[in-house]
Amino acid sequence: MVMVQICVGSSCHLKGSPEVVRLFERYVSENGLDDEVILSGSFCSGKCNRSGVTVTVNDKVHTGVTPANFKDFWNTEIIAALRAEKGD
Amino acid sequence: MNDLCVDIGYKSINHEGEQLCGDHVDVVEQGENSVVVVLADGLGSGVKASILSTLTSRIISTMMAEGLTVEDCVETIAATLPICSERGVAYSTFTILHIVENREVELIQYDNPLVIMIRDDVNFDYPKTEINVGGKKIFKSVIKLKENDLFVAMSDGCPHAGIGKEYNFGWKRENIADFMETISPAGYTAKTYSTILVDECNRLYGGKPGDDATACVVKVRKRMPMNILFGPPSNRDDANRMMALFFSKEGKHIVCGGTTASIAARYLGKSVKAGITYDGGDVPPVAQIDGVDLVTEGVITMSKVLEYAKDSIAENKLYEKWSYGHDGACMICRLLFEEATDINFFVGRAVNPAHQNPDLPINFNIKMNIVGELSECLKQMGKKIKVSYF
Repeated sequence: MVMVQICVGSSCHLKGSPEVVRLFERYVSENGLDDEVILSGSFCSGKCNRSGVTVTVNDKVHTGVTPANFKDFWNTEIIAALRAEKGD
Repeated sequence: MNDLCVDIGYKSINHEGEQLCGDHVDVVEQGENSVVVVLADGLGSGVKASILSTLTSRIISTMMAEGLTVEDCVETIAATLPICSERGVAYSTFTILHIVENREVELIQYDNPLVIMIRDDVNFDYPKTEINVGGKKIFKSVIKLKENDLFVAMSDGCPHAGIGKEYNFGWKRENIADFMETISPAGYTAKTYSTILVDECNRLYGGKPGDDATACVVKVRKRMPMNILFGPPSNRDDANRMMALFFSKEGKHIVCGGTTASIAARYLGKSVKAGITYDGGDVPPVAQIDGVDLVTEGVITMSKVLEYAKDSIAENKLYEKWSYGHDGACMICRLLFEEATDINFFVGRAVNPAHQNPDLPINFNIKMNIVGELSECLKQMGKKIKVSYF
């Protein structure tokens, strides 16, 4: 199971977390990954920046996720995390 | 001292085409637990009526709150009110609700429709004594208060609603009493009850009121303390002290802010579970901590609460939004505006480095302004507010 926590704190909210959450929900359901990817929110992880939303994937913190670079993020980080799990 | 308190709300609509209302409601507090509410209806409508009713309600409420008798008030009004040049009389009717120590209410009524009293959700016919003051017939009653009692004072514009349109003789007092009986169990605020009643009058008038119509509702309720934590303390070492004070308070507890929520969770030895459900609006999702009644994001949510609060004391147009919505701001509104009577703010003055970004519409000053403005609005709603800074 891949745990994905999207920051919904003030700063990330204004950087687009509602849209990022919607994209995550769409990708998860379109790829039938409801049982493999668990989405949840989180409050400030202390990594606020000016470029985008903070997303934690299995305890690894990624900053700067935006709707524009979401697809890349999904393909690299989430798919990689899923593969790593299957490999175990 | 008992644990009752009163919630007072009123609303007016103006005679069609008039910019001023000829009815006026004044609320003057008399110490901690007593209050004088006066609803006055000036002769006619427009400017003249507005001056008459404003003078009448102001004079009576101020004099009563200072402990003077009804007789003194009526004499003063008779000697003070300007005389209408067309009709040759100085005239304004009034209803006084004098709440004494949140224990009993003294009703003094002169020529307005008689106050409707709803007790245990049914119309209650209270005893009245007729007295004569300077040739004026005045009804006086003293009633012991009970939880959930509802007193509805009206100007004659309410029972006149719908004359010749919906009803031949208007919306009779007993029909209004029936109407109030039906909505009484819903547990709304006084402001909401008065709004519902006046909106119904406006509907009966076909949106074109033939008279100024005002309803003033006094609702007796139990005190309900509410505590709200907003922001981490400026000095980290104060966190435990702040949490200890906050969680030791009686009543519900609301925690606003991400960092604040983690501090509260650490203090309680629990975890923060943040949600990702957006309720259609632009307010961040709420979270959960065991032992806390509500956990929300900070500044964005509170800005929204302030927006609703400002509207609620003015036109009350966004009522339906916050009263049915599921986002954090709506939930805070319901707890603060409807449930709470006494609100304790615990405000932390730490500066969030993430917010000191010129690109963001949130910063430390905005946060402090929100607290100031919001407590001002809540005071106007009749809440008792205490703000502590850390």
